[in-house]
Amino acid sequence: MSNLADIQGVGLGLKRELIPQIQQLYQDPAIANIHFVEIAPENWINAGGKSAENLAWFVERYPIACHGLCLSLGGPDPLNTAFLKQVKQFLTVNKIPLYTEHLSYCSDHYQGKAGYLYDLLPIPFTEEAVKYVAQRIRQTQDILGQRIAIENTSYYAAAPIATMDEITFLTAVLQEADCWLHLDINNIYVNSVNFAHAQNPIQLAQDFLHKIPAERIVYSHIAGHYQQSPDLLIDTHGKDVIEPVWNLLDTAYRLFGNFPTLLERDSNIPPLPTLMQEVNKIAAYQAKYRVNRTDAAQANLAHATC
Amino acid sequence: MLDFQRYQLEFTAHIRNPKKHRKPANVVEARMAVYRQAVLNNIFSTISVCFPVCQNVLGKRKWQRLMRGFLADFAANTPIFREIPQQFLSYLHALASEDLPPYLTALAHYEWIELAVSSKPADQPAPQSSYDSANLDAAIALAPSSELLKYDYPVHRISPRFKPTTIEETYLLVFRNAAFEIKFIVLNPVTFMLLSHIQTQQHQAQKMTIKKVLSQLAATLQYPDIAQFIHFGQEILNDLHRQQAITFR
Repeated sequence: MSNLADIQGVGLGLKRELIPQIQQLYQDPAIANIHFVEIAPENWINAGGKSAENLAWFVERYPIACHGLCLSLGGPDPLNTAFLKQVKQFLTVNKIPLYTEHLSYCSDHYQGKAGYLYDLLPIPFTEEAVKYVAQRIRQTQDILGQRIAIENTSYYAAAPIATMDEITFLTAVLQEADCWLHLDINNIYVNSVNFAHAQNPIQLAQDFLHKIPAERIVYSHIAGHYQQSPDLLIDTHGKDVIEPVWNLLDTAYRLFGNFPTLLERDSNIPPLPTLMQEVNKIAAYQAKYRVNRTDAAQANLAHATC
Repeated sequence: MLDFQRYQLEFTAHIRNPKKHRKPANVVEARMAVYRQAVLNNIFSTISVCFPVCQNVLGKRKWQRLMRGFLADFAANTPIFREIPQQFLSYLHALASEDLPPYLTALAHYEWIELAVSSKPADQPAPQSSYDSANLDAAIALAPSSELLKYDYPVHRISPRFKPTTIEETYLLVFRNAAFEIKFIVLNPVTFMLLSHIQTQQHQAQKMTIKKVLSQLAATLQYPDIAQFIHFGQEILNDLHRQQAITFR
């Protein structure tokens, strides 16, 4: 299971609560639509004992995607190459073909040392930042010896020093770094609401989606969020996916063809059979658009091996 | 430094210590608050889950202050989540606060050790015991995941109702059994010496038979009746073996 093409169909974020439930229902038709699972390397590197045993169980049975949280691609401190080497080994040992990260940062330089804040902080959308982040993505790809995908990240505070909008920043980084896109459908919606400024967020989200470079999509996320106020959504992954976000997924498949999509649920996790309703819903959308993707995207998937 | 990085450092300095560092100019306060809360809550929950007793003996307010201090004054340098509690231990060690009870660092270490032992690499296929009991010719070894610990306070008994005020040396063996459960055994000083001796020999890759280790210890302690000492020793070792804390080969 070391081929990127094995990451296809629908996936589910592997939370600890779900592990025994998936193990119990393994090969049961009820969970047949889970084609792959996703883990954060920061949760599993150096995990011993029971965790290591659980991971080995999944490595044998499911394709696995790695979605990182702490690489801090946009961070002011030097890229943590020692950690990247751990990631590389982790991917190899566990036969994981895909590693994606956030277009954000989670560390700073504090009291003379690199320090982690363990959250996804917004990179200001500037020309300098495009070049800086793209260079670090290339450095990451060099160390890993494979291409990575970057995720469009939810954010809450606009930087007054920004000189471009999010989609311009995202596409510039993708171009400059020559990396893949991990398209987060919910984040498009969250950011559209958070920065609507009296415009129609659904229209903003649709516009954003239409500007996505289709050939770079390898992977996607969908999730629920928390509405703190009518103009502020927080990307908690703690609720069901809402209708406007499903509609965006539908549009994305229609525009770009099918791509692998993972359901993220990180808090208020319902029992697996309940989660399966959303997994199955993703599968149903994919069935609706079971058409070939563009040649470029197909070629990407076919030639990428671990 | 690039302009956008200067902004980033203002942004994170404010998140870390909003009283000391103002937010970057023209960032909307309600949106800045989202980050302040998210970062603090995240760190709070990640650390608190590992140190429930520390949290209870200190009380909510002091604990909250410690979490804020950790964020404001410490550069946590690991991207691995399970290593964050260890970063907090480092912070506590460096923190010379008269406001905190003297047993706190020991208690925190004791609470952290459970996570540390549970995270140790999967054992090589657990060495099969060739002996069911403490045969004098059997070689003896501690469980691969074990930690032999000495604290200045009875950390395992500390609670909001028992806060030690005097030093009381306390010896513990912590290990992971075959079912991945973490076990704690309180040791008396002699058993602690015995296990320390075994551990030292193990580190030097010396094969240690039960007879040898018990005789050596009896001599060190100048125990008058070696045969009796060995007999008691065997009983203790059998008990530890039943609990999977040691192996006989």
